[in-house]
Amino acid sequence: MRIIRRVLFNLFAWALVLAVAFPLFWMVVTSLKPGFELFRRPPTMLPETVTFEHYWRLLTETPFLRYFANSVILATTTTLVVVTIGTLGAYSLVRFRYRGRESLAFLVLFTYLLPSVVLIIPLYLLMVKLGLANTIFSLVIAYTTFALPYALWLLRSFMAGVPEDLESAALVDGASRMEAFWDVILPQLLPGIISTALFTFILAWNEYLYALVLVNSDSARPLTTGVMTMLISAFNIEWSLLMAASVMMSLPLIVVFAFLQSYLTRGFGAGAVKG
Amino acid sequence: MANATQSPLERNYARLGILLIGPTVLVFCAVIVYPLVSAIYLSLFSIYTPTLEGEWVGLSNYRELLAKGEFWSSLWTNIIWTVGTLTLQIVFGVGMALVLHQNLIFRSLARSLILFPYFVSTVVAVLVWRWLFNDLYGILNHFVMLSGASDMPVDWLGSMPNALLSVILVGAWKYFPFVVIATLARLQTIPDHLYEAAKIDGAGPIARFFDVTLPQLRDVLVVIIMLRAIWDFKEFDLIFLLTGGGPVTSTQTLPLLVYKEAFALNQMGMASAYAVVMMAIMLVFMILYIRRTREEEDR
Repeated sequence: MRIIRRVLFNLFAWALVLAVAFPLFWMVVTSLKPGFELFRRPPTMLPETVTFEHYWRLLTETPFLRYFANSVILATTTTLVVVTIGTLGAYSLVRFRYRGRESLAFLVLFTYLLPSVVLIIPLYLLMVKLGLANTIFSLVIAYTTFALPYALWLLRSFMAGVPEDLESAALVDGASRMEAFWDVILPQLLPGIISTALFTFILAWNEYLYALVLVNSDSARPLTTGVMTMLISAFNIEWSLLMAASVMMSLPLIVVFAFLQSYLTRGFGAGAVKG
Repeated sequence: MANATQSPLERNYARLGILLIGPTVLVFCAVIVYPLVSAIYLSLFSIYTPTLEGEWVGLSNYRELLAKGEFWSSLWTNIIWTVGTLTLQIVFGVGMALVLHQNLIFRSLARSLILFPYFVSTVVAVLVWRWLFNDLYGILNHFVMLSGASDMPVDWLGSMPNALLSVILVGAWKYFPFVVIATLARLQTIPDHLYEAAKIDGAGPIARFFDVTLPQLRDVLVVIIMLRAIWDFKEFDLIFLLTGGGPVTSTQTLPLLVYKEAFALNQMGMASAYAVVMMAIMLVFMILYIRRTREEEDR
């Protein structure tokens, strides 16, 4: 009786999980089907013939690789800038006492919740005025507006988790504050930094609105807006090609999920919601 | 005496602290505070986007928008979207968390699969769902007709109320994993003896959920609801990419209205006014959330 109930529960639970994951499964299946199979009724659940022609066309006949490279540069630069500034800032916010520190922490949380559409018009005007519109650099600047508060907020709670005694012990041994930071705090904080970097990277990789408004040329366009341009400019929508693009676009994420997932869960615990 | 010897060191530390936060403050001022103030300032002008020439109009943008039906209808759509998708997220999220909390085979794989929609790019999510929703070859219409629920393919995104329901559904699919993970973390900290005590008192599984689990989850749920309400309210990508606000303006929320006003109708001043009003509405939630976070930290 007990076993039957367990089996039934497992079936039910997995049915739910698979239903949630179905769109992603369908994305992969569609990307592997040859054109003629795509429009068959009833649709085939698994491709009868597996083909990689759509991936090949994506890489050779479309600007996909250019977009991909742009996205890599954009997300990496944003992550490096934000995590560097954010780590120093978080150290200061958590471990130092000075006037205005509380209000700063408040400002960080406020900007963390701020909607992008409020900032986008002034930022657009600013980029036009500085002559930076249509560059990857303009997007790096724009992305710090949401990525820095986010990273600071995460790092701040990771930093609070590093025991203060360790730092004090190093100080008693005669280290300066910055030496203690390098030798004691950074190694302790490293998992938190990795986790924050992953979140920031994913955030920058997935961003759409700023890319839509600030960049209007293929040379600087990242994947999100690039792939949507492919959709709009196509004469008839080629779903297999778009699904192949979607799979390729999710590659970094799949890598993270396969190898670094514990860092993602850790970030969830620290940043978004606390007990 | 001790105080006098300590204070130069402390002053040094304070100076170092300010030096370390310096880059953050600089970036904040340049890319957040300045644009924010600027947005409010711009909302007092009438600006034509292509030429960027502005003319001072004072508060007339605000007067105009409050008198406009489009603002109120977008606000209304925004509220329906937020409440609808948030409710689904919470219900599915808590439900799924309870399921994943049980002993399940391949539990960590199940958790990864559930988590994936949250991290996948909105562009990818929307492309996949538009393909699922496709009226001729979409698999959803195949299922609908197979099950006999309808003889005709359903127009998921092109007619009302389907379009709004579809958007709410996709939003729930994309964001409910956040609720799952946050709830799951809290579930794991509920002490077992509470359940055992309830069992001894003769409470069944449903009574145990309402008497033990739910009260324990209350605090974390409040935080999740506030955060997600803020994030869902300002959602742009998902709705813009799925329906573009259509059919006509029936799924147009405030962020989409701001975008349309600024970059399609070329009225930047007016768009800024919309953005400022939208922020003012959100401010209520933001302050509630911030106040709560502070209370929690003081505790």
